[in-house]
Amino acid sequence: MKISKSRNRHAVTAVALGAVLALTATACGDDGSGAGGDKGAEGSGKGKIVFWDNNGGVRTEIWKEIIADFEKAHPDIDVEYVGIASTEYQSKVDTALQGGGLPDVGGVGSAMIAGFAAQGALEPLDERLAGSSLGGKLNKDMVESLKAAGGGDDKLYSIPTSANNGVLYYRTDLFEKAGLQEPTTWDRFYEAADKLTNKGRNEFGYTIRGGAGSIAQALDAMYGQSGITSFWDSSGEKTTVDDPKNVAALEKYAALYKKVTPAADLNNDFTKMVAQWDSGTIGMLNHNLGSYQDHVKALGVDKFRGIPQPTGPGGKRVQVSNPVDGLGLFKSGKNKEAAWKFIEFATSEAENSKFNEAAGQVPSNTDAAQDAWISKAEPTKLAADALSDGSTTIVQLPYYLPDWNTISKADNEPNFQKVLLGKMSAKEFLNTMAEQLNTAQEEWNQQHG
Amino acid sequence: MSVEEAIKTAPAPVRATPEPARPDKRNRAWDEAPRWQIYLPLGIYLLFTLIPFYWILLFSLRPAGSTSLVPWPVTFDHFEKVWTDRSFGTYFANSVLVGVATLLMTTLVALAGGYALARFDFRIKRGFMLALLCSQFVPGALLLVPLFEIFAELRMINSLGSVILAETVFQLPLSMILISNFIKNVPYSLEEAAWVDGCNRMTAFRIVVLPLLRPGLIAVGSFAFVHSWNHFLFALMFLNNQDKQTIPVGLNSLMSADSVDLGALAAGGIIAAVPVVIVFAFIQKWLITGFSAGAVKG
Repeated sequence: MKISKSRNRHAVTAVALGAVLALTATACGDDGSGAGGDKGAEGSGKGKIVFWDNNGGVRTEIWKEIIADFEKAHPDIDVEYVGIASTEYQSKVDTALQGGGLPDVGGVGSAMIAGFAAQGALEPLDERLAGSSLGGKLNKDMVESLKAAGGGDDKLYSIPTSANNGVLYYRTDLFEKAGLQEPTTWDRFYEAADKLTNKGRNEFGYTIRGGAGSIAQALDAMYGQSGITSFWDSSGEKTTVDDPKNVAALEKYAALYKKVTPAADLNNDFTKMVAQWDSGTIGMLNHNLGSYQDHVKALGVDKFRGIPQPTGPGGKRVQVSNPVDGLGLFKSGKNKEAAWKFIEFATSEAENSKFNEAAGQVPSNTDAAQDAWISKAEPTKLAADALSDGSTTIVQLPYYLPDWNTISKADNEPNFQKVLLGKMSAKEFLNTMAEQLNTAQEEWNQQHG
Repeated sequence: MSVEEAIKTAPAPVRATPEPARPDKRNRAWDEAPRWQIYLPLGIYLLFTLIPFYWILLFSLRPAGSTSLVPWPVTFDHFEKVWTDRSFGTYFANSVLVGVATLLMTTLVALAGGYALARFDFRIKRGFMLALLCSQFVPGALLLVPLFEIFAELRMINSLGSVILAETVFQLPLSMILISNFIKNVPYSLEEAAWVDGCNRMTAFRIVVLPLLRPGLIAVGSFAFVHSWNHFLFALMFLNNQDKQTIPVGLNSLMSADSVDLGALAAGGIIAAVPVVIVFAFIQKWLITGFSAGAVKG
């Protein structure tokens, strides 16, 4: 048998070369510098900055437009955009905090601000804002909301870009057909949910959120009906979630499950809930401004409306706070001056208006909030009015508690499913949650004097 | 006996000898059972497994807002949107590069390591095998920060090379164990015959052993490709630029915090699934043979 040694060598060399080339071709990365402990630098106000979008993908296009505008206005600054899906943003920042690679600017909403600030990752922005043209032009409630959600040191770590708000979407065609009035009060809401249900024809009055994100929605319905306007009692140490009025409200709300909702709602996260409402014959849906465009795509503008939450006792509307989104400056950044210019630019009237029109949210810039597009996007206009005309009382959720995300998600979502299934009483559920909240608040009070 | 004769006369190491047909109870039951009793349950099972795929196909092909249960009228708008507007063309190319490079590197290194484990006795061999097995219990997320720091030192953050290296490293233990079992199944006398005919160890391995390892190589290679194709975590953490992202990260970005375009998501899902389905369709036979043979201790 003839053995070709040269063929053998060629084969081995080719495979090795292939592997080396593959790695070489894909290399040329960077060192991802900028970890949690870095103090960073002001920089020259020129050069490159990195921006991490905390809701990348869907909003990539509008951010790229804003970045193009910025680079045109500041030709000596180059912005590198990194879009990160909202579900993965926290873990990506946490990894960068430990291993390096933090950006100069990043999306920092009220739900995440406490965690990042506690790790010393964010630069306080009060002084920069005071000396900026933005001073006095940002919605005060949003600024206060982000300040309150921070680390408890009364500092502002994120400049608000937009606010979301709870919306009750209802099918105008189904309401008209059934001769129902629009669900502006909780009584009308329950009446409509009942009358629009015909299980035999697979028609339901409402879809309830039983899966991921169920707690915030349940709290919204609960406080909205009870009319209690504060999350904590007058001492500031005990939560009001287990107040008898809230217990009664939750009992009534949870009783809707399977009576006027599909049985599959038990596992509803927002994706399933919205998809179900958009493609089915369900009368009402509670979600926020973010899904408005999905409904328009699925149903058109004539078949539904999105209105603020129903009013409760005495015609008062009470709702829980929705997360405010914003832009934070990471302390480890090496070019903070340029990064701050970008934040200022992105929250200026024109750009903030452009961003919120695309996102369907309430602008943080008070001038942008007067723009014409707002009156064309009805749910956004109604939400903006409700948030600013004094008709609505907001119950501020304790985003500042480091345990809030755990308490409002992993710890209690399974229990809420038990409430829906009738395996746990509303009182027992709320007592458990109140106990966890009171403990977390006590710890927080101890740490912050 | 020459090497060629030895190969011809050697028993196929990885294929079981077919059992002689015997008229046992099972065969009789098969012959006597009405066909509907066999095909009806199989059909129901097939339907059960295919419905989710049909649902994805339906959402990807019907217009936004349609509630029809059949994808008619058909639209390719969702595919066009994700491929061009949402950069799935770029993600696809990156995923192919990561998948193929991981496949090549995993197979190459597993082949070398597997050969050493199968053919050589060394002092820490048992301990090494145990370490390989134990490494399977370490989740990737646990090593994320150390890996991030290593790649940052190597200036490989934001480079596809970091993902390829990490994927290869995580694929290697299982691949080496599988390959070593395949090699153990190839009679050593075949290699010895090749040496007698003048081959060195490398040449004997290449012309005698390697052809007999085809099912094993296909099993290991396809496993490495599919795993790296689907893997999300490393690409998410080590890559920043949009033009470096892979398909799983792109799919994830189609869902925002409070809005989701189901048509685009379904189209993205189909684009992600097609290469894997094609790979499996072509290698199915080799894959099943490979995994069953590799599972037998030599």
